[in-house]
Amino acid sequence: MKTESSAAYIARLAITLLLITAVVAAALAAVNSVTAPKIQAINEQKTQTAIEAVLPGGGEEIAFTDDTGLVSTVYKGQSGYAVEVTPSGFNGTVTMMVGVDNAGKVLGISVVNHTETAGLGAEAASQGAAGTAFRSQFTGMSGSVSVTKDGGQVDALTGATITSRAVCTGVNAALNAVAKLG
Amino acid sequence: MEAIIGIILSALLSQNFILVKFYGICPFMGVSKKIDTAVGMGMAVTFVMALASAACYLINLLLVMLGLEYMQTVAFILVIAALVQVVEMFLKKFVPALYKALGVFLPLITTNCAVLGVVLVNVQAGYNFLLSVVNGAAGGLGFTLAIVLFASVRERVDKTDCPECFKGFPIALIAAGLLALAFMGFSGLKIF
Amino acid sequence: MDFKKQFKEGLLTKNPVLVQLLGMCSTLAITTSLFNGIGMGLAVTAILICSNVLISALRNFIPSQIRIAAYITIIAGFVTIVDLALQAFIPALSASLGVFIPLIVVNCIVLGRAEAFASKNTVAASAVDGLCQGIGYTCALIIVCVIRELLGKGTFGGGILNGGEGIRLIPAQFPAMQMVMPVGGFLVLGFVIAGSQKLMKHLEMKNKKKEAAK
Repeated sequence: MKTESSAAYIARLAITLLLITAVVAAALAAVNSVTAPKIQAINEQKTQTAIEAVLPGGGEEIAFTDDTGLVSTVYKGQSGYAVEVTPSGFNGTVTMMVGVDNAGKVLGISVVNHTETAGLGAEAASQGAAGTAFRSQFTGMSGSVSVTKDGGQVDALTGATITSRAVCTGVNAALNAVAKLG
Repeated sequence: MEAIIGIILSALLSQNFILVKFYGICPFMGVSKKIDTAVGMGMAVTFVMALASAACYLINLLLVMLGLEYMQTVAFILVIAALVQVVEMFLKKFVPALYKALGVFLPLITTNCAVLGVVLVNVQAGYNFLLSVVNGAAGGLGFTLAIVLFASVRERVDKTDCPECFKGFPIALIAAGLLALAFMGFSGLKIF
Repeated sequence: MDFKKQFKEGLLTKNPVLVQLLGMCSTLAITTSLFNGIGMGLAVTAILICSNVLISALRNFIPSQIRIAAYITIIAGFVTIVDLALQAFIPALSASLGVFIPLIVVNCIVLGRAEAFASKNTVAASAVDGLCQGIGYTCALIIVCVIRELLGKGTFGGGILNGGEGIRLIPAQFPAMQMVMPVGGFLVLGFVIAGSQKLMKHLEMKNKKKEAAK
């Protein structure tokens, strides 16, 4: 036991651990330098695709002061606006793009990023039948939207009421933002 | 205030860490054979989760400042491991009674994915310091609730006469499934 | 080194999920489609092999007091590499598995094999062990995935086959959605483990009979 508490031994423990951590950190830095630009490019690509999916012809970012904490960016295009909103879903933030035309009607929505449960809330973002049907409901809506459970007109995704509510919250935030812009 | 109550309710019931989000299943199955050990484990986990949420919030600020977000997982798990060690030493020295009650569970907590899970969720959801700590503590209480409920079910289930191949773990999993079914009733729970 | 024995252990007699009951969180949480199961299984297998090899190579260098901390750091490093690589190259899988990728760090299988096998065996044996245990884990995940997806969504191969929709085997109005929800995870895994125990018993009896006949 004497050697185990000696300063030299403790120093050896600390240095070994430090060395391992340093090597791991260096390896991660190397990997990150390769993957970071790719991940960023994917995210930018995702944002662009999301804008074009909800706002034909795409749009340019415009200044917008948000007081709801839900709207992150507004893009203005020929036929209307694409609003990026970030409502809280089931597991975390759902980042989505909502297209709104100049008359204040929803042109379409798409989910950019989310951490919802696979197979349930994640359907909101999927390209499958359930996801597409869910998202297409919003097209043409205006004013205020909510799920049928809350007395609204949107059929929630099976087993994912909270995610569906989050999407409604996001759409409402986008509609309000556009109304504010006039 | 609404945000805090919302987080507490969802972490306890509608998004219970174990029965809905599947964090911390290993200790849930491993340490749920008796109610009193389940209570001890739950308390220890709650304590560490609240502390880890606070510590990792600060660490994350530092990582973001330095642009080292990719080190999050490594940094968090090391903080949690160190924290568990410190808590263990602290309790041993200053609160021996509590150490006696919780001591055996502490080393297990490092690899409890509820702890790392709550920390990662806090960061992803962008909670501030207060909300992170509340989420950690409430998540821990949700863990305690589930594990204590399950332990009381399991004390009875283990005595039942079921087919040989279901004895032990499989029947416990099925009992947990029924408990999860009950918790589904809380889904969408919202007071505001 | 006995490859055949290690393979049989990983796949059957010491299957990490079905027999050792490790790594339950991911087994229950993400097994809702075949795509998730295969993706998660391969990610864990890759991490298991890498961490087993490195830990085995360093086994005489790491003092035993800090071995757990050292193992966790190494594992966390590999997990982050896999996480970043998936985000960059297979974003669909990364989005689908979400927070359960970083949570591989605390997946007891990886740390368990580091402690129980890699810290005591040669590099080559540890690599084989990582591969075999990883395959065992992947197979268990796939079994649970296929059953849950079939009962819960009525499809097979979701996320991969038929443009991501999966092949529909049960008409859309019949599947019990609960099976892809938490409840289904517990129930299906319970039945799968019970089934595997039954199978194991059966094989054991057969072996005994064979030996008796000799």
